[in-house]
Amino acid sequence: MTSFQSTLGDEPGIAEELAENQQAISIAEFFEKNKHMLGFDSGARGLVTAVKEAVDNALDAAEEAGILPDIYVEIQEDGDYYRLIVEDNGPGLTKESLPKVFGKLLYGSRFHVREQNRGQQGIGISAAVLYSQLTSGKPAKITSRTQGESEAQYFELIVDTDDNEPEISVEETTTWDRPHGTRIELEMEANMRARQQLHDYIKHTAVVNPHARLELREPKAAFKFERATDQLPEETEEIRPHPHGVELGTVMKMLTATDSHSISGFLQEEFTRVGKKTADSVIDAFRDRHYGREMRWRSPATHEGIDLESVVTEATANKGADATAAFAGAIAESVDERDRIAHHELRADVEAAAEATEADHGTTFGETVRENAVEAVWLELIGAAGEDGEPAVGDDEASGETDESRLVSDLYDLVDEATSTRKDDEVVHAFAERLAARFEDEGSEDVRHRLTHRALSDHVDRAAELTEEYDDVAFGDTARENVVDAVWGVMATVPDDPPLVRELESDRDASSDLVDGMRETDIMAPPTRCLSPISADLIEAGLEKEFDADFYASSTRDAEVHGGDPFIVEAGIAYGGDLEAEGGVDVLRFANRVPLVYQRGACATTDVVRSIGWRNYGLDQPGGSGVPNGPAVIMVHVASTNVPFTSESKDAVANVPEIEDEIELAIREAARELKSYLNKRRSMQQRRKKQNVLGKILPEMATKVAEVTGREEPEIDDAIARIMNNVLVERQIEENGDGQAVSVVVENNSSTNESLEVTDIVSAEPRNLSDGATVVEMDGEWFVKWETEVPSGDEAALEYEVSAEAAFDLDVKGVESEKLTLTEATQ
Amino acid sequence: MSTQNDQQAREQLIDLAAQFYDQFELGEIPHMSVPTRTKNNIEYDEDSDVWVYGDRESTRSANSVRGARKLLKAVYTIEFLADQLEQDRSSTLRELYYLSESWDNEEAQFNDQDESNGLIEDLEIVSGVTREDFHMRPEESGATIMGPLHLREQTRRGEREIHCQEDVGEGGYQIPNNPDTIEFLDTDADFILAVETGGMRDRLVENGFDEEYNALIVHLKGQPARATRRITKRLHDELDLPVTVFADGDPWSYRIYGSVAYGSIKSAHLSEYLATPEAKYVGIQPADIVEYDLPTDPLSDSDINALESELEDPRFQTDYWEEQIELQLEIEKKSEQQSLASHGLDFVTDTYLPERLTEMGVI
Repeated sequence: MTSFQSTLGDEPGIAEELAENQQAISIAEFFEKNKHMLGFDSGARGLVTAVKEAVDNALDAAEEAGILPDIYVEIQEDGDYYRLIVEDNGPGLTKESLPKVFGKLLYGSRFHVREQNRGQQGIGISAAVLYSQLTSGKPAKITSRTQGESEAQYFELIVDTDDNEPEISVEETTTWDRPHGTRIELEMEANMRARQQLHDYIKHTAVVNPHARLELREPKAAFKFERATDQLPEETEEIRPHPHGVELGTVMKMLTATDSHSISGFLQEEFTRVGKKTADSVIDAFRDRHYGREMRWRSPATHEGIDLESVVTEATANKGADATAAFAGAIAESVDERDRIAHHELRADVEAAAEATEADHGTTFGETVRENAVEAVWLELIGAAGEDGEPAVGDDEASGETDESRLVSDLYDLVDEATSTRKDDEVVHAFAERLAARFEDEGSEDVRHRLTHRALSDHVDRAAELTEEYDDVAFGDTARENVVDAVWGVMATVPDDPPLVRELESDRDASSDLVDGMRETDIMAPPTRCLSPISADLIEAGLEKEFDADFYASSTRDAEVHGGDPFIVEAGIAYGGDLEAEGGVDVLRFANRVPLVYQRGACATTDVVRSIGWRNYGLDQPGGSGVPNGPAVIMVHVASTNVPFTSESKDAVANVPEIEDEIELAIREAARELKSYLNKRRSMQQRRKKQNVLGKILPEMATKVAEVTGREEPEIDDAIARIMNNVLVERQIEENGDGQAVSVVVENNSSTNESLEVTDIVSAEPRNLSDGATVVEMDGEWFVKWETEVPSGDEAALEYEVSAEAAFDLDVKGVESEKLTLTEATQ
Repeated sequence: MSTQNDQQAREQLIDLAAQFYDQFELGEIPHMSVPTRTKNNIEYDEDSDVWVYGDRESTRSANSVRGARKLLKAVYTIEFLADQLEQDRSSTLRELYYLSESWDNEEAQFNDQDESNGLIEDLEIVSGVTREDFHMRPEESGATIMGPLHLREQTRRGEREIHCQEDVGEGGYQIPNNPDTIEFLDTDADFILAVETGGMRDRLVENGFDEEYNALIVHLKGQPARATRRITKRLHDELDLPVTVFADGDPWSYRIYGSVAYGSIKSAHLSEYLATPEAKYVGIQPADIVEYDLPTDPLSDSDINALESELEDPRFQTDYWEEQIELQLEIEKKSEQQSLASHGLDFVTDTYLPERLTEMGVI
């Protein structure tokens, strides 16, 4: 730059020369330069990204139409090229919208919409189309059939890279077996080196979209992922932007587009969670920024000897003594009633006094008279009246030299209150004088003492610097801030009407003040109906479908907000079973139901998983931090109207503290379930081990005891049940006439209450059932059902009578098999 | 007598097994309770003047894997002992430990000898039959008596009449494992002198102390075996001989005296059968160390701990012992019996013992 500057004078044609070099960059060039940002930086990655974009698109299309997605992905090898085919069962596309969807970069219905969606930038699928065209030189081949059409449409589509315009080169009707849907075929330079990521992507997509059916066919393999549920994700509703989440540029665009005239209307119409009251708060905040506040000075105290009545009387001419006195009296009284008064408040008081006096006395108090009264009183209040050489009060002249001005004493009190007690009284006083001087200077330009927050800060800074310089004391940032806050606190928001929307449109600074005002104001968090979490149940269903584990847990947090965008975090954990026990656990990351495959280490999700102490939750974690080891999968889903990513390729969630906190809470919630499962499993293992050992020792002991005593072997089941703190279910049968009396006794030796469901299948009809038992006959067998809760250490019995030859089959549910002992005792 | 005794012991053992059997049958968790064998659970029995177990009990229950194993071993041991009694055999504690290796059930085998010894003690307590009556003996007995005593011993090879001065060599009469097989015939002894160390016993015999003072010199061999204590008690009770104990001047020797006089913690269930409360301590007393200006060693940390724990031991809570132990803690010194040799080899028999025994009113 410097070199141009220095030669500017010598070569007058340089600007023109430079301008000649500037030309529109073609979309192809743009793509070439930015393909790493879009996820197409290598052939391997390009293929994964293309699949990802096409599948995301397909899922969205089907869901939006309320159709359970059924998606087919095929990758064919063709010499140096690969052919990617993605089919969906969505609603299909019309000829008009099709080129735009697939061919135009940055075309999309979603970019401006505040609603949870997979793609948000509108770059996705069109970038894939462009990538295929640029690398293979072949058009995208698209087949589409809308519902009810008898035939499908076939198109070949190329993008004119000079002006980013899609063109349909071939168009014909064709036959297709899908009743509706879209099929896209892209040929591209690619390779299968990122096969693992491709599989992860498809598999993980199946996990978070349990309602979708996916099929992947590769040159040498094929995979199918069936549905786990027929329940479509809840439809999301678009919400208007939240005032806390918009940028200046967006607001200016919205201002241009809105139909509202007033700012209040604009705010209420265009934003979510803004009503009349909130709009007013925002406008007040805007006024403070845009117009500044007016300083409110103390009303005169009696000892000050300021006689406002005579000041007004003097300023009022030709209105008759009575009317003048009434006018002056009313003003003096209303000023006196206030603790502090700002210029616009004084004006309002004067107006009120004038109206009242006009009504009472019939004298007209015109604009000039009012102006004069306002000015006279205001100058008196800010102690500037003396400048005219007309002392308001007689004895003021003599003491005028020594008496400090009203402003100084007023500010002194404020500053003294706001600064630490360690400040020397002299210093505070000197500071107050300097600050008052700034106000006096201000008064010469705007007598109303109207200051923005920034101007006030400047004044305070200046006064503080002078104080530091002359009085040789520190007047630090905290003290300055405190003084600014104290003074700003007593200043009054001005009643000026805010500009109209059309005035704001072209005023960048005012718009910026409005955005600041919006951010400043407390506004309720945005509604969450724009989000569609997967839900804890379906997360488990998704995990169960794709991972063969022993245990699944999940959690869904309540919605939270970051930067005006609502978000929900969900987590799931699968443990045990066929999961790989060696090495670190798998962390599955999802944003708006899209799996994140690349940049694992840069993701907030991974950071949170690493920071959790997993040993507390029963997972092995070498060194006590980092990704835990063990046969587990941890998944995290962040759903938001605007997921913050670290880059355009949307591979990693950015480290936003609000989101990280929620991720941690969600994971911990699921991890707590894991912990209690693992604890229980451990205690069951111990119980099983004990049972195994005792199950060997005790019978041997019984045999030995029988040998030594020379008796028959004793019955030991009861003793074992007691030892194992088990629930003992024992059938006792007694002869009862020509039938038998059966009682099934439940003896709870455990330390907790146990709920059991006992089913006794009897081959003859039972009679005289005890309370709570029911019987159902089925194919000549009678099912005696009995549900009971037995307190720890207690017992309960099911009793009935049945004919002598009946056979039984006992089944008990509700108690872990490790804890259950079933025995039959015939007496 | 012996077979009848054996029969009774056997029945007691089988009763114990039957008790487990009944517990099984009643659906109870098999268990047995034994008094807790620690210092905190022994108390003075006023009637018999000995220390016996208090009320605290430990339960061996099949509730846990450990407990179940213990009971299984107990049953196997009961079977073994019952068979041994039936066949009139005997075995040592160590043999029992090794013998368990031959049992068909690995769970029933002992891990170490402490375990099998402890189990035998349990069975003694629960069945009320002594180990000797189970025909169990310790590995080495070997303690001896030298002195004017004529007795008859019932051996497996027939009766033997022995005079413990005239019929024995310098080694003296070997006390059998079960002294209840001995019958005392006659004695000229005036008192019993139980001696801790072999060296001192040999010195006394060499110097002819037993002949000169009509003393029965019983060699304790460190912590006395049950047989030694039992015969001491019988000599005292049946022949009305005063018992004196001559040991080193350190805390461990006081415990040796304690087990002779009051019974040991491990066998407090047999105190009435083994302890001789009237036994008196000759020395070395801490007071002697000062009085006779004996060569000393400083007290080690473990000595001090042992002394302090003796101050809390109910068996040593008498004025005499408190005074002696506190004195020793004060001078921080200990002396062995042999240290008397610093005044000459005959000092112990010519001066020390006569002086001490006269002082105690024994001679």
